[in-house]
Amino acid sequence: MKVPCFRALITVTVLGVCHSVHALWPMPRNLETGTTLVKLAPTFDIHVQGISQVPQDLLDAISRTKTRLGSDKLQRLVVGRGSVDKGSLAHAPSLSKLVLSVTGSKTVQSIMHEATKDIASRSEGYSLSLPSTNGGTATITANSSLGLFRGLTTFEQLFYDDGTGVTYAYQAPVTIKNDSPAYPWRGFMLDTARNFFAVSDIKRTLDAMRMVKMSQFHWHVVDSQSFPLTIPGFPELTQKGAYSADEIYSSADIQVIVTYAGTRGIDVLVEIDTPGHTAVISTSHPEHIACAQASPWESFANEPPAGQLRLASAATANFTASIIKNIAHTLPSTMFSTGGDELNVNCYTQDAQTQADLKASGKTLEQALDAFTQTTHGTLKAIGKTPVVWEEMALEHQVTLSNETIVMVWISSQNAAAVTAKGLRLVHGPSDFFYLDCGAGEWIGNDSAGNSWCDPFKSWQKAYTFDPLASLSAAEIPLVLGGQQLLWTEQSSPQNLDSIAWPRAAASAEIFWTGSKLPDGTAINVVNALPRLHDLRFRMVQRGINAIALQPQWCALRDGSCNLDS
Amino acid sequence: MLPQALVALSLFLSAVQPASALWPQPRQITTDQTALKLSPGFDIKLTGIHNAPKDLTDAVSRTSSFLRKDKLEALVVDRGASSAKVVKAAKSLKALRVSLTGDSKTVKSISEEATLPLESRSESYTLTIPADGSDATLQANSTLGLFRGLTTFEQIWYELDGNTYTLQAPFDIVDSPAYPYRGLMLDTARNFFPVEDIKRTLDAMSWAKINTFHWHVVDSQSFPLQIPGFMELSQTAAYNSRAVYSPADVKDVVSYAAARGIDVIAEIDTPGHTAAIAKSHPEHIACPEASPWTQFANEPPAGQLRLANEQTTKFTSSLLTSAASLFKSHYFGTGGDEINLNCYAKDEQTQAELTAQNKTIDSALDAFTQASHKALKAVGKTPVVWEGKQTSLKNPHKYSSTSTEMLLVHPVTLDPETLVLVWISADNVKSVVDKGFKVIHAANDYFYLDCGGGGWVGQNVLGNSWCDPFKTWQKAYSFDPLANLTPDQHHLVQGGQHLLWTEQSSPSNLDSTVWPRAATSAEVFWSGPGGDVGAALPRLHDLAYRYKQRGVRAISLQPEWCALRPGKCDLNA
Repeated sequence: MKVPCFRALITVTVLGVCHSVHALWPMPRNLETGTTLVKLAPTFDIHVQGISQVPQDLLDAISRTKTRLGSDKLQRLVVGRGSVDKGSLAHAPSLSKLVLSVTGSKTVQSIMHEATKDIASRSEGYSLSLPSTNGGTATITANSSLGLFRGLTTFEQLFYDDGTGVTYAYQAPVTIKNDSPAYPWRGFMLDTARNFFAVSDIKRTLDAMRMVKMSQFHWHVVDSQSFPLTIPGFPELTQKGAYSADEIYSSADIQVIVTYAGTRGIDVLVEIDTPGHTAVISTSHPEHIACAQASPWESFANEPPAGQLRLASAATANFTASIIKNIAHTLPSTMFSTGGDELNVNCYTQDAQTQADLKASGKTLEQALDAFTQTTHGTLKAIGKTPVVWEEMALEHQVTLSNETIVMVWISSQNAAAVTAKGLRLVHGPSDFFYLDCGAGEWIGNDSAGNSWCDPFKSWQKAYTFDPLASLSAAEIPLVLGGQQLLWTEQSSPQNLDSIAWPRAAASAEIFWTGSKLPDGTAINVVNALPRLHDLRFRMVQRGINAIALQPQWCALRDGSCNLDS
Repeated sequence: MLPQALVALSLFLSAVQPASALWPQPRQITTDQTALKLSPGFDIKLTGIHNAPKDLTDAVSRTSSFLRKDKLEALVVDRGASSAKVVKAAKSLKALRVSLTGDSKTVKSISEEATLPLESRSESYTLTIPADGSDATLQANSTLGLFRGLTTFEQIWYELDGNTYTLQAPFDIVDSPAYPYRGLMLDTARNFFPVEDIKRTLDAMSWAKINTFHWHVVDSQSFPLQIPGFMELSQTAAYNSRAVYSPADVKDVVSYAAARGIDVIAEIDTPGHTAAIAKSHPEHIACPEASPWTQFANEPPAGQLRLANEQTTKFTSSLLTSAASLFKSHYFGTGGDEINLNCYAKDEQTQAELTAQNKTIDSALDAFTQASHKALKAVGKTPVVWEGKQTSLKNPHKYSSTSTEMLLVHPVTLDPETLVLVWISADNVKSVVDKGFKVIHAANDYFYLDCGGGGWVGQNVLGNSWCDPFKTWQKAYSFDPLANLTPDQHHLVQGGQHLLWTEQSSPSNLDSTVWPRAATSAEVFWSGPGGDVGAALPRLHDLAYRYKQRGVRAISLQPEWCALRPGKCDLNA
């Protein structure tokens, strides 16, 4: 059965847009599709085969997939929407079931267990088959529960509603062989310190991340402005440093978040930024903070309020290590971030105690920073955690970092090569491609004509054109773990979280899953991406995520008609 | 030096006291430092108003409800906790007495007052709140003025331990707007917005005393407005059968707005921006969906009314008058922006008609416009147009250098009552005013809410929005409505508005794109220009936090740390 698509009627031979499955994001690395409509049988069900004990989080995931197949009710983005397929659907073949099975071992670990493994040893690959025969059985196979879970996510994106409650796929048969990510780290960073986000907002964000197969939630949970993270043994930090008693993540909340994430295939990297970005600690521990709320803040920090841990003080280093240890050991991730960005030297120059500490120990500031970092990283390693740092720690300071340390590149995409040149692994988070907060104007007060420091706005198209391997040698390629878009929240809050992040943040999710090539071998490109990104956006809206419109709906329903040259 | 002493004192106070929350800032206000709280039995009493209009009593009920439900804590570090004793010991205000001055026998409703011609509206009021607990009074010479006063009254109060209080009594406020037109424009054609989104927007507008909703309801992409006698337009060109505004919906929106002091000026943009009409009336549209669109329109799809055709002119006049009959307003927008000459140059029918009538495009546009405006005037409506028709303008060249030379001088004859929206640049205001027209400020370089969100046209990898950068609230706040004008021209400036074109907006980001930014023009045109952004910021935070309490998703302008510490996040602080 031939299904027309809008462009096909006009210029199929020229553009051939119809070959891609519009719904899939990220695009699988291998894909064959047909043109047959297949509807879900009224008795459609999802079964697991050949697994002795099915993990509960996989059963839950299956249950959620079944629910969404019925509740998404997304009509195809074509002129006429679902009604264009209504006639054909009456006689379309039915899909009776989806069967999940694992290759190899019958013993399967939970999704959460697989998702929180070491970043280098996760298995997310799967194969999927959706037949076009009446009464057929679709299959997803993988060698881990996490792979099966990724396959379920793909399966959900294949289905539409015709407007009358019939759920169907329109490009059967679909065959995906060994889809697996190009990079293991596909992340999203959220800052919950500049403004607070409730657990429900974080869960909704994790749901959106899951839809695009993201694997890492980087939680920049505390900063100079507020300290909402409850640390066992240090309740005073939140008592004094949270915005209010209601704006705190309790130990129970933290477990809820890491579990919600883990069961959705997402590892949570928690960051406690040190030694900078710690002014708020002075509200309970003034003895540990240099230049606390010093004025003018421009001389002491990149943004107000100023304040940094007294890195040359042994007591402060031990205090910091204790905080990091007490929280890190409660988290399932094998990684923990100690931050390390934007260290302000003047703050320490003006701090009499730090100067005295340096003098007493005979250390330079850089040596003190090295010792401080060795202390915190030593503590992390002792409890089996891999440290993650911002790029300055690798590129601007004389700090000894162990080989397994992961470095986040943020200042400029140009700096990635310098990190790999040191033999360190990196995660791409460059402000010039991936910062979601740029371009919304100045937030510093009394600056009438100011714009954001990282203007302009980073469009999804800009993010999508990022090349993870630019200026790297072949030998350095394995050091690239992946990348992520980031939301610093000086101008964000629950009110605009969804609209600022989605669907834009899905751009990096595709780059780092699909890699540089589409299944047909052509290079990934924004023209192919746009209709699929529209589809993702409309599906997100159906699921209660306030993703923004990328174009007038007129354009969303007419693939290609609003291109520059159309 | 007394003035300096006062400045020093107020600087000191600003660090420890909540900034007065009022937005827009009243034009005359004195306050002091006495705590006052609302009595548990606090009541708003209409006194001496016979047969009080229902929309006034409804407004009073809403104010009472906000006073109970806002529960906004003061934006200070301890959220007011250190004032607990003072608040507990404070005198209680038992009543706000609301009355009309002058002849109260012929009381008009808020809705009637709000939809009068701009020059006939009275929005002024006087509000007095004594510090000793004796009754507060609100007086105005219109119900609309009383409504503005109620809005001010709501903004005075904070919540602490179940008390609704202020630390700044007494209040003496004498207030009226600097300009009669303070608007917000929403485009519901690029993407559709359900009535509930529009109502929420109207509520938010009314809280900042915005009085005009400029509804750019249809455009080339979709035609959601159901117009009696022209139902085929929405049937064929709405995005779907649910994405329409029925006459009942329009009535609902118009009356909801009017009861909140807001006039709804609908716009049907002509002769450009009308591709959607080709779905049901191909005979009236030149270059419908012509390709490449960059040669025929500023954005896809292309399509313009055949302005030289007599039938099309009649159709348009009839369409406009029928649409205008749905709205109470004295005003109706006929658009007129971005006319693409190449579209007409390539349209054989238009060329044949011009030849037959021996007209140029300009003289045909003049005749077309005179016909539609005459029809509107016949039904009592004053036309509102975009600037292009009577000023000599440069091509804004949104996307392509191959775009035609649009907007040359179009010497269209317009009635001097016509309101002209200046959008291409604030620099064009002078030339409009020089011609003697009344002007509404809508400059994209200050007031376009959609700028800076990246390019939306497909395949344009590194494109940014045509009107980059993002227009910050600070930028809008610095707008000078009288720049380059002579004193004898000042009276032609009716006011101004923020605008949201919705190529990249939908209900998902409506609130967050608009609020609190759009409140800045509300203050510029109510309080007058020249406000200081440093002084405005704490009040704008306050407004945004109150909006959030009321369910409008206003964004955070800064980290909460800054919002609780006025001035601490300023440059050089």
